[in-house]
Amino acid sequence: MNISTSMIVLIAVMGLFGVGLYCLLITRNLIRLLVGLQIMVKGAMLLLVFVGQSQGQPSLGQSMALTVIVADTIVAVIGLALAVQVKRIVGTLDIADISKLKR
Amino acid sequence: MDVNTAFTWLLMVPMISSAVIYLIGRIFSRGLKNDKKTNPAKWLALIALLVTGIFLYFIITNVFSTGQTHYQNFGDVWFRFDGISMMLSLLVLVLGILVTIYSFTYMGKESGEEKFYALLVMMIGAINGLGCALDLFNLWVWFEVMTISSIVLVAFYKDQAASLEAGVKYLIQSATGSVMVVIGIALIFLETGTLNIEMMRMSINSPSPFLIIGGALLVIGFGVKIAMVPLHTWLPDAHSQAPSGISAMLSGVVIEVGLIALLRALGGIALSGGRWGYLLIGFGVLNMIVGNLLALRQNEVKRLLAYSSLSHVGYMLLGFGVLISLNGLLAGVGAVFHLITHGLMKSLAFLAAGVFLYNFHISKGSHKVLVLDDLNGASKKYPFTAFAFSVALLSLGGLPPLAGFMSKWQLLAGIAQTQNTIMIILVIFAGLMSVLSLGYYAPLVNRMYRKEPADIVMEGESVSIWMYIPLALLTLAVVVLGFVPSLLYWLTGPAGYSLFIFFGQ
Amino acid sequence: MLQIEPLVLITILVPWFGASVVWLIGDRYEKIQHVSAVVFSITAAISSIAMLWVYKSGTVLSFSMGSAYGDFTFISDGLGLFLSIVATVIGALAIIFSVDYMHGSAQLGRYYSFVLFFIGAMVGLVLTSNLLLMFIFWEITALCSYALISFYNDDPKAVAGGMKALIMTQVGGLGLLLAAALLFAYSGSFDINIFISNPSLFPSNILAIMAFGMLIAAAAKSAQFPFQTWLPDAMEAPSPISALIHAATMVNAGVYLLARFYPAFKDVPGWTMSVMIVGMLSALMAALMALVANDLKRVLAYSTVSQLGYMVYAVGAGDILASQFHLFSHSVFKALLFLAAGAVIHSVGTRDMREMGGLGKELPFARTVFIIGSLALAGIPIFNGFWSKELILEAGLEHGNPIWIYVIMLIVTGLTALYTTRCVWMVFYGENKLDRHIHPVGRNMKIALTPLAIGAFSTWILIGPFSKMMSSSLPVHSIQEVNLSELFNHVVFAPATWIALAVIALGIMTWFGRGTLTGIRQALKPIAGMAEASFGFEKINKFIVGATQGLGESLRITQTGKLNWNVFYILVTLVVVFAVLMIGA
Repeated sequence: MNISTSMIVLIAVMGLFGVGLYCLLITRNLIRLLVGLQIMVKGAMLLLVFVGQSQGQPSLGQSMALTVIVADTIVAVIGLALAVQVKRIVGTLDIADISKLKR
Repeated sequence: MDVNTAFTWLLMVPMISSAVIYLIGRIFSRGLKNDKKTNPAKWLALIALLVTGIFLYFIITNVFSTGQTHYQNFGDVWFRFDGISMMLSLLVLVLGILVTIYSFTYMGKESGEEKFYALLVMMIGAINGLGCALDLFNLWVWFEVMTISSIVLVAFYKDQAASLEAGVKYLIQSATGSVMVVIGIALIFLETGTLNIEMMRMSINSPSPFLIIGGALLVIGFGVKIAMVPLHTWLPDAHSQAPSGISAMLSGVVIEVGLIALLRALGGIALSGGRWGYLLIGFGVLNMIVGNLLALRQNEVKRLLAYSSLSHVGYMLLGFGVLISLNGLLAGVGAVFHLITHGLMKSLAFLAAGVFLYNFHISKGSHKVLVLDDLNGASKKYPFTAFAFSVALLSLGGLPPLAGFMSKWQLLAGIAQTQNTIMIILVIFAGLMSVLSLGYYAPLVNRMYRKEPADIVMEGESVSIWMYIPLALLTLAVVVLGFVPSLLYWLTGPAGYSLFIFFGQ
Repeated sequence: MLQIEPLVLITILVPWFGASVVWLIGDRYEKIQHVSAVVFSITAAISSIAMLWVYKSGTVLSFSMGSAYGDFTFISDGLGLFLSIVATVIGALAIIFSVDYMHGSAQLGRYYSFVLFFIGAMVGLVLTSNLLLMFIFWEITALCSYALISFYNDDPKAVAGGMKALIMTQVGGLGLLLAAALLFAYSGSFDINIFISNPSLFPSNILAIMAFGMLIAAAAKSAQFPFQTWLPDAMEAPSPISALIHAATMVNAGVYLLARFYPAFKDVPGWTMSVMIVGMLSALMAALMALVANDLKRVLAYSTVSQLGYMVYAVGAGDILASQFHLFSHSVFKALLFLAAGAVIHSVGTRDMREMGGLGKELPFARTVFIIGSLALAGIPIFNGFWSKELILEAGLEHGNPIWIYVIMLIVTGLTALYTTRCVWMVFYGENKLDRHIHPVGRNMKIALTPLAIGAFSTWILIGPFSKMMSSSLPVHSIQEVNLSELFNHVVFAPATWIALAVIALGIMTWFGRGTLTGIRQALKPIAGMAEASFGFEKINKFIVGATQGLGESLRITQTGKLNWNVFYILVTLVVVFAVLMIGA
């Protein structure tokens, strides 16, 4: 494993994480928020796979990534289910309309 | 019974029964659409929790008779049943059983009862597993299971906009936290080459920036769940919108579980050169002051209680921080004790508030929030519930002879024992915060003992026996622990000590 | 066959047991509640008096609580024993008085439970030698005081008064908390007796923190400067509560604390001086405020603060016996005054003295006992207040104590006489302004008032046994035994006594000559104005409350409820934590 590869991977991870977080910071659409979340998780998965590789335990890294995928899918499913319900009850997917709970 | 078998079943029973509860409950609720018969899911849940309790009892007696921490592995994944696991499992099971009984009535009129109980049992099982996970990634998995089940439980009233809003916020924020935890774990793995927390300790011999970044990500990631200020923004929404039994679980155990998870994880990288203890103390101070100030001007009862959880987590952070950075064993034991008493008194407060909420609004099909004015003169019609609520509130405010005073005292005495000037100032600060908190607990008590009851009180329904049982037991516990705090030494002592050796140099 | 160990436990636990019994009886059986409360309180009083025959120095009972709680130990020395008798006996009298006073009131169970709970806690507070346990009882008394002040929860003033008392005594209680935590941190135990016999084992700065921490705690509990404002507002409580908690017992806990720890702290630089100044300022300011107040109970509250100032001053001046002796006298005559005032208020239905006047004819019994109490308060010879106050003033002249504080305390005796006369005059003499119906004083009220009135005449005779009890059971406090003839010689042949009497006479004459003294009154107008505004302390209190609430309110803006902001907070925290850790590492 040479340095440049790990640099590239780490930058990619930071990029994915950053893009996802940026998405969470600016977007108001619930679906897009969930997409942003997914992008962040992809960064984490990439890191897991890379770390397993560089520690000489690729199977461990991959199985961890797989577990994250499962967990993340469940989160996404619940998120989308909530989005459906929000659309049905509130009528929009704009989270500005579900910001009643404050203070 | 073999302790290995018992331990396996401790983890398996809730997970298996969760599925069983859902399936059987679902089948029955289909079959009995218009029947008045009760859904068997609740009884199954109660039985599942009791069975789990039996296995827990076997393990605890074994641990005490051999005097050794129990280690067990499934493949490469190691578990360790020590003082902390014991404390956490016991607390969550006791509260879980009480909340289940409480929900017999509270959730009785909701559709989808089976989902509620299945998720509740799953959450309890996940917390059991989390308490003894020794593998960092495995810790995260349990944590994620707990998070997912609690998200669905928060958004349980799926036709209520407010409940959905709380669920969405909770989901997005805790998922963000989770991602950070995963990245943190990956970075730590990259540096140490192992996921076993005990091995990790041995493999670290020099400070490293990767470990510090990883640790910081863990602090933030778990911090979202612990509701460290300013990561707490989801908490007041989620805790006030969830069904009251779930609010009790969330405030009483789930946020503390995040804290335990964080401590476990930090134990692995304690030698990384980061000043984790001081970081926790800093967050503790922030939590106390912000939590109290925000609670001061609340008008909604459950929201007020949610904010007060912030300040109580602050006390625990303070105690554990002192344990980590100044080797204050007694402060750690005090923090564990406060964790337990907070679990008891905050659940009591939420359950009692839930009794009012249920009888004033929910049983009539309305989803209005419970505001302070609703409680005026509540003692007239609900003398026992008002008494229980007062006990919980005054105990939260740290008035003797109630449990909250005793645990706060042990915590503060432990902090003072470090004989460190800054820590002694922090003792005064924590005391002052406790006084400030009386500024919002005490008027609530006054309200309930007015002689002129609010209209809504007199129109309220009468309380069912299933709600009285947990209230009575918790009230008794809070009062008795206030008189005889030594009753729980066997639990808090080992828990504090196992954390202590975890962080010892 | 008396034994001290069971008596200590009985005196604490019987009222507590009674509290739960009365509560469990339920408000439907009002009569049983009255009777059982009276029975339990009298039992406690008898058991605490019985201790007089078997008291001893040192620990009598010990329960091990382990780690952070130490051994819960109980003692029965003179200082504690005498206060426990005061608490239980006056407690019993207050409860007997309540049978009439609270007749027909709702939620009696809550009332009696808290009174009994308070009595037990007060006894525990003075009979323990574990500082943590003392702190626990200290806080329980604060809890009961709060619950009883705001007993009439529908009245916002009562709720506010209760909250104020709770918060202020709790803030002061932090001093005690700190002292207890430090005692534990540096000695590993909470035993007070071990501590006061060798305080030199502690580092001097820690000892100083503990000393001043306790002074703050004592000042808050005893409503001394600068915490004096809560006591007048606590007068929203039913009158028996004012008599019991806010005159005779709980407010004395601060003085007790100072007296108990005097041997440990007397060598801390500046401590005795600070104690004297706190006492002096409270005595002076409260006396001035009593002079301009128009609410009967508030006048008595201010006079309590003022008299407590004398006791605190006596501790600072180094005469524990004088301080405790005055505490004893004060408990008796102030309980008498409050109960008599309660009887008057109960009869006429108002607390404003401007609406009273000429009540002497209608309420002769109340007038007699009130005047007896007033004479004791003013320090007129023969009455118990005279003897104890003279002892305090003489202590102020001994041990090289500063003379200027003595002079101010002397002036305050004149002020005391003045406001007492004014109060008696406004209530019982002059023309009758009330045209409403006046209830007669109830039988149980008379039963409770009579022993107190007799006590106000005669408790000073007990100086011999009183001082013997203290001197024999308190080895480190160096208290001298004084018998009656010594007291007599000591007081009557001291020039200070005659000076004080002259000042008192001057004070009384000032009231009757008020018509001719208009010039002086005009000159003193600004001071009266300041006293009416409680010398600005109310404003400071209001400011602190307002600022805290304002801060809380403005902080709520940060809870935007918008998800993007919430995520933004996470990002910010991440950055800050990184930065902190990088700098720290």
